[in-house]
Amino acid sequence: MNWLEFSSSSLGVAFFLYVFATIFYMVAIAGKKWGKKDPKLHEARWGKIAFITSTLGLVAHLLFFFTRWIGSGQIPTSNMYEFITLLGMTIMIAYTIIYFIYKKLLLGMFALPLAIIVIAYASVFPSDVQPLVPALQSHWLKIHVTTAALGEAFFAVGFAAALMYLLRTIDFKDKTKNGKRAQRWLEFTLISILVVIGFIIAAFGFKGAGYTASFQQENASVSQLGEISTTTETVEYTMPPIFKPYNSEAIEVTPFLGMTDGLFETPSWFNGVNSGRKLNTVVWSIIVGLLLYGIIRVIIRKPLGAAIHPALEGIDPDDLDEISYRAIVIGFPIFTLGGLIFAMIWAEEAWGRFWGWDPKEVWALITWLYYSAYLHFRLSRGWQGKPSAWLAVIGFVIVLFTLVGVNLLIAGMHSYAGVE
Amino acid sequence: MLLPVNTKCECGHQNAVGTVLCESCGKPLEKELLESNEPLEMRYDGVARRSQKANPDYLDKIWNFFSSVKIAIYLIIITFVGAMLGTIFPQASTFISSTFDPSVYYAEQYGLPGKIYYFLGLHRTYTSWWFITLLVMIATSLVICSIDRVLPLYRALSKQQIRKHHAFLKRQKATYSTTLAEDEAEWTKQYGQALRKKGYKVFVDESGTALLAEKNRFSRWGPYINHIGLILFLLAVLARSIPGWNVDQYVSIADGDTVPIVGTNYYVKSEGFKIELYENEELPEELKDSGRIKSFKTEVVLYECSANCNDDFEQPTLTEVHQHTILVNDPLRYKELKLHQFDFNLTPRINAVSPMVVNVQTGESYGPFHLKMVEPELHYEVGPYTLELIDKYMDFAINSEGEPITLSSSPNAPAFIFNIKGPGLAEAGEVFMYFPLEKDKVRFSQDTINRELANKVAIKVEGMENVDFSAATTHLNVRIDKAIKYLWIGAVISMIGLVMGTYWQHRRIWLRIDDQQLTLGAHTNKNWYGLRADIAYALKHCGIELDPKSLDNGGHKG
Repeated sequence: MNWLEFSSSSLGVAFFLYVFATIFYMVAIAGKKWGKKDPKLHEARWGKIAFITSTLGLVAHLLFFFTRWIGSGQIPTSNMYEFITLLGMTIMIAYTIIYFIYKKLLLGMFALPLAIIVIAYASVFPSDVQPLVPALQSHWLKIHVTTAALGEAFFAVGFAAALMYLLRTIDFKDKTKNGKRAQRWLEFTLISILVVIGFIIAAFGFKGAGYTASFQQENASVSQLGEISTTTETVEYTMPPIFKPYNSEAIEVTPFLGMTDGLFETPSWFNGVNSGRKLNTVVWSIIVGLLLYGIIRVIIRKPLGAAIHPALEGIDPDDLDEISYRAIVIGFPIFTLGGLIFAMIWAEEAWGRFWGWDPKEVWALITWLYYSAYLHFRLSRGWQGKPSAWLAVIGFVIVLFTLVGVNLLIAGMHSYAGVE
Repeated sequence: MLLPVNTKCECGHQNAVGTVLCESCGKPLEKELLESNEPLEMRYDGVARRSQKANPDYLDKIWNFFSSVKIAIYLIIITFVGAMLGTIFPQASTFISSTFDPSVYYAEQYGLPGKIYYFLGLHRTYTSWWFITLLVMIATSLVICSIDRVLPLYRALSKQQIRKHHAFLKRQKATYSTTLAEDEAEWTKQYGQALRKKGYKVFVDESGTALLAEKNRFSRWGPYINHIGLILFLLAVLARSIPGWNVDQYVSIADGDTVPIVGTNYYVKSEGFKIELYENEELPEELKDSGRIKSFKTEVVLYECSANCNDDFEQPTLTEVHQHTILVNDPLRYKELKLHQFDFNLTPRINAVSPMVVNVQTGESYGPFHLKMVEPELHYEVGPYTLELIDKYMDFAINSEGEPITLSSSPNAPAFIFNIKGPGLAEAGEVFMYFPLEKDKVRFSQDTINRELANKVAIKVEGMENVDFSAATTHLNVRIDKAIKYLWIGAVISMIGLVMGTYWQHRRIWLRIDDQQLTLGAHTNKNWYGLRADIAYALKHCGIELDPKSLDNGGHKG
């Protein structure tokens, strides 16, 4: 077995340990009501088991990281697969640090699933080692990417705690307009998470079934002299084409539910590389996510939030509020250093300018400005608790957009951090 | 709002107008606040900020506007929303081409949304007047917010009274009260000792029954240090608009050439540009044969010019000052000058040829002679032949009137016209046209132009070793950024402040004992969890065990 094989098995082990740890956390919390046992003792015992399991998972994850580094000869932070697995790992590191500060079991019930989703998302991307292009051959690749990811991981933990706070405090019996609105937004947040899971299921499902489709797309472009030129390219799909590329012909489409060609054509104003395929993927993720949500609703017969809410009773919401705030406070300087200062130093070295208003740079700045607004809001009365929790949830959406959305939707200098 | 009121506290301290909590004993000063049961707002210890003046004039009003944290938050929000808009479509600055016309591009590429985008000026978001104004306003807010708070806060923290008002203690977010059986002074001493172990500085008043324990006060200065760093950073950014402080231009150098760097005293020579691709065995399956680039680099020598610089007729006097292999992440740095690898062009360029002169009838060949493209010699003696250079074209073409012209000064299609004298040729010499590049020879039919002379004499290059050419042209980005060191200093100061303010927390615990009745209150700016643990730890040391959480007075206890 070589280093790289050992590395990828380690990640598999880490993944399953995280899943088990999540289950143990659930046993620790939910099991309190199970029998005659002393509930405090039960929680302490299973909490300990769960934490040990999750720490072993983190050890396996670190093994994955370092053996891949040794095996490939370069730090595994250079493509989407490597970066997202790194993010999963830093979330676990951030969680472990916060656990040591607060010793609150329940955080694991939300931070671990977050790490699990992140790792599952990573494995959608090709996992081959890709040798570095010249732009990435710098020691700043190691420093900038890891610190930025660690900062963002603390924001992720802040998000997990904030989501728990909302699930804990939003009153599902409240029939007032404000109460209803809070319930709807919380449900929407949970559905969004299901859509991400939907993407992972769809990607793996169709990949497992060996689904492929390809289209010949004709692109017309007008040069600056007014000459019209057309180029054709082949676009490969791995999910059935609900939306086929704009102005394209099917070359080969595996039939799916009687579909032998795209149902709709991607509108022309969807711009960017492979916009048709991206739109199609998004549509599939939403369909699968909503389907998943529908199934869950049929089983539990009430809103998802209302179903999770009782499990969180007995946790002090003030603790959650404080943990969320504290995680963000800890993450903020790390993100400033890794996401902005180190990034500027590297940009100055590679491109000669410390700042170029590249979309990725702008979004890192937006993230930073957003969280600095959050920190200033916390200074004023009335912004603790719910408003602050909502801000932490929205903040994490911005973080995700900066990390993934920019690469998927906006082309820029970071586009070499190839996504597809 | 701020009426001239009597601001003297019952403890005898004279407070400034706008003070919320007495600077000395901490008693809430406003009647309304005194009667409420909510935990106290401890921001800046309740001191009056500089902006809270009784009769604000015009300047005060501007000051007051920028001193508000709420305004600062709005400015931050507007700025990041504005920045978001700028990423919808690519910014005009990303197109380097000189023919790029944004008024056409956005409408053509993105349709109506593109038209609106261009119309609103969002294609130059980050250099727009409103965006710059926002940044300047944020900088102003940073300065004014900091000054407005840091001085009063400094004053309040440097003269703290130990014995605080009961209302102050009981309405902290962490409080505790109980009746003690022990000796008051002894208990206070014991409690203080326990806190000392936790790193607190402990002060006890002369009666021995009131205590103030304080830890990490320096962390309160963190935000202000951070703001000073940010201001310095923004000033450094502004300084880049001073002429000469921020140079950004490009030079193109063919292998072997030496070119001046415009606007400086430097010349730079490229000793060769090299590109290297990954071998297939280094690549994973799906990237094989993709031509993935391993490295591109330019070996350069930097010269400083001491005489005849930028003179069209004299050779400049150059002294070598630096050598470097420029890689993408490894620019040449010499003093303030930086040369970055930016782009390259692999079209070869011919520099000189060393052809033979051939007597076509006898087959004898003479030479070679050295013919440079740039500044060639005008006279050549080759064996029995004499060549006079009459004219040359670097980029030969025939215009619509049938006249020979040159399209550019780059040797893309060089042509030379010689007057040749020698055996079997006319006494006065005959005119011979020579195209050094084989493709041009065919394209412009050299033999037809030279007519019967082509049967008598030929000029021929034998083998590639007799052709001197540059294989590639490297494009380097020339940068001088004089503000950058101030920028980094600003960033470092800002980071130091940030770390000070976030990873340490200012914790204070006050207590007083009156008639065996202990009243304890504590405050921190962050991490109440840690503060409560400290209080509980010290209480345990004095024989009182409790759940730290029970100290919480988060507004629920009253």
